Amino acid sequence: MISLDNVTVVFGRTLALDQVSVEIPEGVTGVFGPNGSGKSTLLKAVAGLLKPQHGRIAIDGSDRRDETARRAVGYAGHGSGLYGRLSLRENLELFASLYGASAERAGTLIDQLGLREFASRPVAELSAGSKRRAAVARALVHDPDVLLLDEPYANVDDEASEAISRAVATWKTDGKTALVATHGAKKVKAYADGGIILQRGRLIRSGRYTSEGFTAT
Amino acid sequence: MTSAELGFIAKTAALARKDLRIEMRARETLPPMLAFAFAVTVVLSFTLPGAPELHAPRELPPVGTVALADVVAGFLWITVLFAGLIGFARTFEAERDDDAIESLLLAPIDRSGLWLAKAIANLVFIVAIELFLVPAFALLFGFRVLDDIGTLVGVVLLVDLGFVATGTLFSALAAQTRSRELMLPILALPALVPVFLGAVELSSDLFVGRGLAGDGSAGWLAILGVYDVAAIAVSVMAFEYALD
Repeated sequence: MISLDNVTVVFGRTLALDQVSVEIPEGVTGVFGPNGSGKSTLLKAVAGLLKPQHGRIAIDGSDRRDETARRAVGYAGHGSGLYGRLSLRENLELFASLYGASAERAGTLIDQLGLREFASRPVAELSAGSKRRAAVARALVHDPDVLLLDEPYANVDDEASEAISRAVATWKTDGKTALVATHGAKKVKAYADGGIILQRGRLIRSGRYTSEGFTAT
Repeated sequence: MTSAELGFIAKTAALARKDLRIEMRARETLPPMLAFAFAVTVVLSFTLPGAPELHAPRELPPVGTVALADVVAGFLWITVLFAGLIGFARTFEAERDDDAIESLLLAPIDRSGLWLAKAIANLVFIVAIELFLVPAFALLFGFRVLDDIGTLVGVVLLVDLGFVATGTLFSALAAQTRSRELMLPILALPALVPVFLGAVELSSDLFVGRGLAGDGSAGWLAILGVYDVAAIAVSVMAFEYALD
């Protein structure tokens, strides 16, 4: 469970998040909205990469900036978050070792995301789509309880999109929470349990997908 | 699917190895440092007097009598200082590419471990520069580096610890700014003055074979020791805020 209570983030004169309060339950929640609506800011704030000027964010009740909460989070932002001069396998094994995950986990994710043929190449030489998949693999390498994916389908072809969706579906088990930000909702809606909609930094709507459609919460 | 989580030292070592591996492949930090050190050495070899005159005092009207050994040692350490700043400015380049810094900041490793890993890599680069510069100066200017090599190595390491500790901390601060190559010397140079004053005072005696017999040697050793402890302590505590 991720709780945001009256969260406000300001960059200079730009109000990126404006008093956002929402409870995000277990399961996959899509974060929707046009460019500049605050999706990326929301994910970075939840990850602990930026500190809100006002409000509080908690993951399962604890401050997300402490080491225990950091360990629980897997985050893939706009960049791959990987070292360009190292191979994909070296990158994943490095982060696996920092989190105490096994090197085999890195190999499993490489296979799951269809990256085997690129595993020994420097990340800098990968295509944009392969980097997106690599970023998702890095976010999943320690099997986190909270997964935060920012535009995972950007620059990604259909086959790679399916691989990402499959990897998230495989990761998703009871007690886990994911936020997947995208401005193209279709791919996320296919497996999301709920969604929130942001516009100009404000929360416009939040709800769950049920058999009757989108039910506001 | 987990294995035993690495401890602080093992995680720090893994990150330092990563930085050195990246440098082995990219060769973007050490070669420019070496090129700078080489260029300065060549220029100095033409402009400074050679070995026979090293021990002769020179009359410099504004300051009185100056031992050439002090002047040449000063040039040596200034070359180390600026070559080091060239390298330190690139401390976080690998992390800036493709937002790798975000992954690193989210990883469960104490920030002091991140600082220590970067400092270890920077120390390797500085030692590599000194392994070139000290023998080169010994050949060109007749430095008697082998007379008391143990003491010289001790003094150099004492200087390096303070230099690297401070330089790594300020490189993190400068990395947050757009003009980081300019900001690093502006931030770091004032803080590094005591280190390099001590380096010149102690090493100039060693270079002319006088050992650490000078009047102020004990004082400079104490200053360097205190500086190192303070620089490491401040860096460990401040690095978290420097990266925020």
